[in-house]
Amino acid sequence: MLVVDQVTKRYGTTVAVDRASFTATPGRILGLLGPNGAGKTTTIRMIAAILLPDKGRILFEGRPVGPWSQALMGYLPEERGLYRKLRVEEQLVYLGRLKGLSLGEARRRARTWLERLDLARWRHHKTEALSKGMQQKLQFIAAIQHQPRLLILDEPFSGLDPLNAELLKDIVLELKEAGRIILFASHRMEQVEQLCDDICLIARGRILLAGSLREVKQRFGRNTVVLEFDGDGAFLEPLIQQGAIRLLSRTNHRVELVLCNGTPPRRVLEAALSHVRELYRFEVTEPPLSEIFKQVVRAQTASTETSHG
Amino acid sequence: MDKVWIILQSEFLRRVRTRTFLLTTLLAPIIMLSLALLPALIGYLGSRDNTRHLAVVDATGILLPRIQEYAPATLRLEAVTLPVDSLQVAVQQGRYDGYLILPAGLIDGNATAELYVERSLGLSFQGQLERLINRAVREVRLERLQVPPELVTALRAEVSLRQYRLLETGTEADGTVFFSIIGYLMGFIIYGATLAYGSLVMQGVIEEKTSRVVELIVSSVRPFQLLMGKVLGIGAMGLVQFALWGLLFLAGATAAGPIIAHFIDPQQLNLPASASTRDLLQAANITLPSVDPMLILWFVLFFLGGYLLYASLFAAVGSAVEQQQDAQSLMLPLMLLIVIPILFITYVIENPDAPLSIGLSLVPFFSPILMIVRIAIGSATFGEAVLAYLLLVAGFLGAIWLSARIYRIGILSYGQKPSLRELLRWIRA
Repeated sequence: MLVVDQVTKRYGTTVAVDRASFTATPGRILGLLGPNGAGKTTTIRMIAAILLPDKGRILFEGRPVGPWSQALMGYLPEERGLYRKLRVEEQLVYLGRLKGLSLGEARRRARTWLERLDLARWRHHKTEALSKGMQQKLQFIAAIQHQPRLLILDEPFSGLDPLNAELLKDIVLELKEAGRIILFASHRMEQVEQLCDDICLIARGRILLAGSLREVKQRFGRNTVVLEFDGDGAFLEPLIQQGAIRLLSRTNHRVELVLCNGTPPRRVLEAALSHVRELYRFEVTEPPLSEIFKQVVRAQTASTETSHG
Repeated sequence: MDKVWIILQSEFLRRVRTRTFLLTTLLAPIIMLSLALLPALIGYLGSRDNTRHLAVVDATGILLPRIQEYAPATLRLEAVTLPVDSLQVAVQQGRYDGYLILPAGLIDGNATAELYVERSLGLSFQGQLERLINRAVREVRLERLQVPPELVTALRAEVSLRQYRLLETGTEADGTVFFSIIGYLMGFIIYGATLAYGSLVMQGVIEEKTSRVVELIVSSVRPFQLLMGKVLGIGAMGLVQFALWGLLFLAGATAAGPIIAHFIDPQQLNLPASASTRDLLQAANITLPSVDPMLILWFVLFFLGGYLLYASLFAAVGSAVEQQQDAQSLMLPLMLLIVIPILFITYVIENPDAPLSIGLSLVPFFSPILMIVRIAIGSATFGEAVLAYLLLVAGFLGAIWLSARIYRIGILSYGQKPSLRELLRWIRA
């Protein structure tokens, strides 16, 4: 268990994190969401025992985090960085030893992982000779090679091609199955929906939303409609003008919308059936996470503005 | 401490195995040696090639033979009776380097000797010629006063001074000059090494910060451990470099005797041409005093102390900036501190026992340079050296503490370059 309990961190006069509390459970992936500058990185750094909270506690397996928990933790920071001049294997061995692995063990694991992530033939190259994607895989290995019980991944898939992203995703899911605590920070809502069991939304240093993904979505109700069709989408215009629906996203053949003012779903279905050439999908569902994100963050902005105004 | 050791190893190895390390280790002594020896070499070669050839118009009729008697082989004086204008032509044509006029009144002090040259023959040549003429004139005057020849010989005696140092184990050839040079060199080497290795530390810190790898590292070790590992690793590299230089120096010193002897002319010293190296060096008053192992120990200790003091401060500066260029303004106070002992080094060598010298050589920021100078000269008591070293240890512990406080915040701070005032806030935070 990782427990973040009423944690506050200030930089001078600005409050980066304000009485934040949430819990991460082994065997589950917790998505850390939040706009840029919301206090995510500060929160992560406190969990990683890089920064000390001004107030509150962070407990890992019942004890306050510190050098002891760093050895049990793997961290992939958002700002990637490795020693450019070190050779690939040497780099992993060094980072592994700093996590407490013996020289022999660090070597063995570095080789295994380089093999698995298809980097084995780069072993003796300098890190700077690797492409960005390969460096990212290398740093991913550095985060997991010592079998951490707590894994913090900040945008782990950004800049990777679909194949490599899939490769890493599989490993993350394996680690989840193995009962690790995984924190997954990302702006890519579809990835969060795909991977996370729990989410925690931070904005302006406050936790706006925390809980299991299912539960959070249910809280926002089943009033979202997804349509996929062939033909003219003009039938939507009158509905929008009457205030019956609000569009979330619209492409040529796909529309996501919210039912407003108690509009029944069949009203949209009937309008669609009488206008489009073919209807492939009509689904009444929960709002997408991106929609929840926008709603919650906007509401916070509005409330702070009125309270200040 | 385990992690400090791992970091130390890595920092050490990744530097020592580079081509740069090999090149600097080999080239630095060559460059330093040639810089030190070049003026002497140029002087030697210059004096060797330049046999001076002067035409002399000797109106006294008796001075020239005496001057010739004492003149070195490199000065050829030829008596001529030509008129002045044809002498001018001869000099301009290059037959002579110049012409010297010795007027009749010279012996009575009523006239001055005159040397006409086309190109200056140098200040030392003028002095040399002056001495030769003076000596000749003096002898002629003494003879005219009918001073007994014994007295003349007595007056002619030219005494050379040789200094010895009293030691508990007996007297030893004194090497004040030698030890002044050694002290000066040691001071300068510590100064240069502190600057060079300190900048390496700073550069390493900036690189880690710019490449963002530092965030990864401090999620595994304390910033303080990273700081110490880096400083000690680069320090270890410095020690290895010094050890290699020491070996090169030792090899050089063993070869130095015969090389110096090669440049000595046995005839000038009234020795047979077959004289041994040792006899030659002794007769030429050249002794190569041996360097006390204690001095070398102090040198290593003060180098390490000074390095730890300055390198940790350099690291703090590096942690506060993202680019080397941004470091300039923060480096200024450090550079001032490190330059002060260099400004005083000549004063301390000349007045090693002056209160100012003793005082400055005890201050931690200055002692690595100034105390080693005083120890080398033999002016510092053992107590003073120990006191200076204890103060230096306190100084570098304080500097490390201070730097660690700046470093732990600096390495994670990006964006605006902090002012000195901000650094003070970090220290207090």
